[in-house]
Amino acid sequence: MDTKTEVLVIGGGSTGCGIARDLAMRGVAVTLVERGTLTDGTTGRMHGLLHSGGRYAVSDRESAAECISENRILREIASHCVEPTGGLFVSKPGDSEEYFERKLAGCSACDIPTELLSAEQARAIEPYLAHDIERAIRVPDAAIDPFRLCVANAAAAREHGARIETHAEVTDLLLDGDRVVGVEITHSNDNGMTGSTERIKATHVVNATGAWAGQIGAMAGVDIAVRPSKGAMTVMNCRQVDTVINRCRPKGDADIIVPHETACILGTTDVEVDDPDAFPETQWEVETMIETLSELVPILDEARTLRSFWGVRPLYEPPETKTSDPTDITRQFFLLDHADRDGLAGMTSIVGGKLTTYRLMAERISDHVCDRIGVDGVCRTADVALPGSENPMHLQEAMESFELRSPIARRSVQRLGSRSSSVLSTSDPNPVICSCEAVTRAELEDAITEVGTDLNAVRIRTRASMGNCQGCFCAHRMAALLHPDHTVETVRTSLEALYEERWRGQRHALWGEQLSQAMLTRYLHATTMNRAQSQTESSPTVAFERFDGGDERGD
Amino acid sequence: MSDTEDTPSFDPVTVFESTEQDLRSGSDDCYKCSTCDSVCPVASVDSSFPGPKFQGPEQWRLTRKEDTEIDDSIMGCSNCMRCDGACPSSVPLSQMHNTARGAYVENQRFVRSALAALRSGELRRGASIVRDGVSDLRERIRNRLLANYYTAGRFASKLPRVANAFTNFGPTRWLLERVLGITSERSFPSFATQTFREWWTERGGAQLENPDKRVAYFHGCYANYNTPAVGKAMVRVFESFGYEVLVPQQRCSGTPMFANGRLDDAKRHAETNVESLAEAIADGADVIASCTSCSMALRQEYPELFDLDGIDSVGENTYEALEYLRLNEDLEAALAETAGDAEEFAYHAPCHARNQGLDRQAVELFSDVDGVTIEDVGDSCSGISGTYGWKAEKYDYSMAIGDTMFAEMEAAAGEQGMTECPTCAMQMSHGTGYSITHPLELLADILIEEQSASSNG
Repeated sequence: MDTKTEVLVIGGGSTGCGIARDLAMRGVAVTLVERGTLTDGTTGRMHGLLHSGGRYAVSDRESAAECISENRILREIASHCVEPTGGLFVSKPGDSEEYFERKLAGCSACDIPTELLSAEQARAIEPYLAHDIERAIRVPDAAIDPFRLCVANAAAAREHGARIETHAEVTDLLLDGDRVVGVEITHSNDNGMTGSTERIKATHVVNATGAWAGQIGAMAGVDIAVRPSKGAMTVMNCRQVDTVINRCRPKGDADIIVPHETACILGTTDVEVDDPDAFPETQWEVETMIETLSELVPILDEARTLRSFWGVRPLYEPPETKTSDPTDITRQFFLLDHADRDGLAGMTSIVGGKLTTYRLMAERISDHVCDRIGVDGVCRTADVALPGSENPMHLQEAMESFELRSPIARRSVQRLGSRSSSVLSTSDPNPVICSCEAVTRAELEDAITEVGTDLNAVRIRTRASMGNCQGCFCAHRMAALLHPDHTVETVRTSLEALYEERWRGQRHALWGEQLSQAMLTRYLHATTMNRAQSQTESSPTVAFERFDGGDERGD
Repeated sequence: MSDTEDTPSFDPVTVFESTEQDLRSGSDDCYKCSTCDSVCPVASVDSSFPGPKFQGPEQWRLTRKEDTEIDDSIMGCSNCMRCDGACPSSVPLSQMHNTARGAYVENQRFVRSALAALRSGELRRGASIVRDGVSDLRERIRNRLLANYYTAGRFASKLPRVANAFTNFGPTRWLLERVLGITSERSFPSFATQTFREWWTERGGAQLENPDKRVAYFHGCYANYNTPAVGKAMVRVFESFGYEVLVPQQRCSGTPMFANGRLDDAKRHAETNVESLAEAIADGADVIASCTSCSMALRQEYPELFDLDGIDSVGENTYEALEYLRLNEDLEAALAETAGDAEEFAYHAPCHARNQGLDRQAVELFSDVDGVTIEDVGDSCSGISGTYGWKAEKYDYSMAIGDTMFAEMEAAAGEQGMTECPTCAMQMSHGTGYSITHPLELLADILIEEQSASSNG
């Protein structure tokens, strides 16, 4: 199958979706392709910090200034994705006082508002900070939901006519001499195109695949020396802090705690890896984080851990720089114009950067692409609210209109923003399907309408199965919603994929309470759904229907 | 009991200045298994009640620090505390419920927040706060009245005969139901013409002194105002074993206040109780209660909810009366030579007794006594749960929960009931018409020969 578009964006992370939205709003015909679900790469595997810029105020003031400016913009245009938690840089005995002063000075130089707090003041805000902390700097850090942000960007792009194609892996770049003229993709989604390939001709291709940019470059014989660096993050069951807590020292592993929805996320480590798709996820990383961050917040040491996950930073530096330690590689982003750089026209790559500045990156790339394809368009992404952030709904109103219990109404409205009414207004009963995260059937059905049978895509839109039981009590209920629109086979496959994803992260948290939880999950599923053995090993001839009517005795 | 007490770094006292509880470990400990929901008597009859798992760990985890709205359904919980006993993971469910209920009731105080809204120019919000506040007002007044039975009892006992006539007078009951939502289906318990404390003063207090065997009796409201016979039986039995009985200054244990979210009232009463009981403990006494909900409050809810000097010591040194005797005296030997009066009892173990591990004690003790037949009517909840069954909108649920117990009582051989809990006794009597005896009364009857002489007291 052959199709055409003006600009083809590869990569459904925050950068790719941001570019798709920006270009679509300028009237450019855009197609975005993503090999998995949106956010599958680095975007969905980060700690959810909306930087104030404080973190870079000493080492990289340019990044710091970009962060604070984007931070202010995202609070406006993506209010339903942002929780304005505020952040603290906390120093402990032995942490450099000189660095603390430089942090203050750097923030002030970058227009990042700060407030100097005594240990008592900091502990009044966050009672679980260690007793021996010395002082703290308050900055406007915030928590951001990368899934919601990314999905909202994709939705906005689609509203402006873009085509968003997930489960569509680029298997080749189409070349015409020394010019990229499109891509070949292979579909793996459930809309009947699975296994089929499609050639999409494009005037310009944007490679927004981050840590995977080198693999795309290689398809056209250009070298993009991304230096992927893995970082581990650990999810706690509940919030030990309600403010972003940073350790105020130059650099190092395990120096940040981000409150995120019902949980806290501990981060992180920084180790260069060869292959962004295959690298070791090691226990020492998790242990280091819990141990080191317990110095700041001692109760972390005995608190329940739900899971850990690893993300891959798309770090890049010009090849001649040759920095040895990945923590020293710049967090700046780079626009690689392959026509100038490699003599290959028709393609631009974007590497480096971070989620907080995704919109700015998208703006720069879109400016560049418009220039290349001869489109006059002005960027409007900083001024127009994302879908969901247009008119925040009042909680009281929501509780009354949707007849939901107060914490469920509150959480639903926080997730759905201005879409609350259209999603939650239903004349049907609307039971809670995921009770850990307070997700109702109406919200799940809305997500299913949006993404089809990919339950992991449903999960990132709704948070269903992301709470303390990690899908033990809701994964099958989510899957059941796919029936009868989809076949039993499809429902099973979707459920299997969701389970696998949930187990993947829990493997790194199998001690204490989460081990008990995992055993309960295992036994409940074994005894109620025959999941003690692999489905393929079990007899394919089990006549489940025999048990339905009760008019026949069992086998 | 909650894990929080074992972990110094979780100590809520050093962290929060207020009585705000930290229940992080409770949330961490919940595996969502729903065993608590499966034993909740309210959830089994009231489909609008989401059950203890939601009320406790789930709601706690979903509520952010700045959120104030606790779901209305928290007031559907009867505080029977069966979920505490059911949880395989020691989630402090009742502590979470008590805390949430306290926050909910605190949030019902609408005048201050309405004024704040009006001052900041938010007229519509202010009006809506007032509207909601007023619609909750009747429930709040009714609940506060029920929760403060101590105060009602104190006044009623000044003129018990008038009070008895007035409270069960038809038009009064009609009005109470219409205006306050207190069910007219039940008869109010009658007030004794002489309270236990009046009797105690009249008899000149303790009849013997014994620095080695000393108990401080926490009679609670009911044995004082309504069933002084239970208190007198307690005194006679303990004195027969050579105990010096102290009757310290005391107010309500707080049980009905916890169940109605009146943590502020409960704390005020607890201050008096803890002070005088801690003093008695310092004098070498252990604390004894004849009501299993009172002993539950002193043992579990006090240290879970309040931070008062001596509160842990009170919790650790409190016992139910029969439990104490079984631990410290050879009751079997004392009863071996005795015989009952050919009586048959249908025994119901109160939920709060069950949580203290006391659900079998009466049956075990009396089944070996000649002439006494005692039959356990099973592990169901009686359904009244203190003030719960008195609320007009809960009455039907209360009776539906009680149905199992009523049926088992009817099926048992005995035509009279036995239980430790005064409100379970009300419910048993209300559902079957049986008269209900407290185990201490039977024990006193069997152990002490000169019944006729002392029962006049």
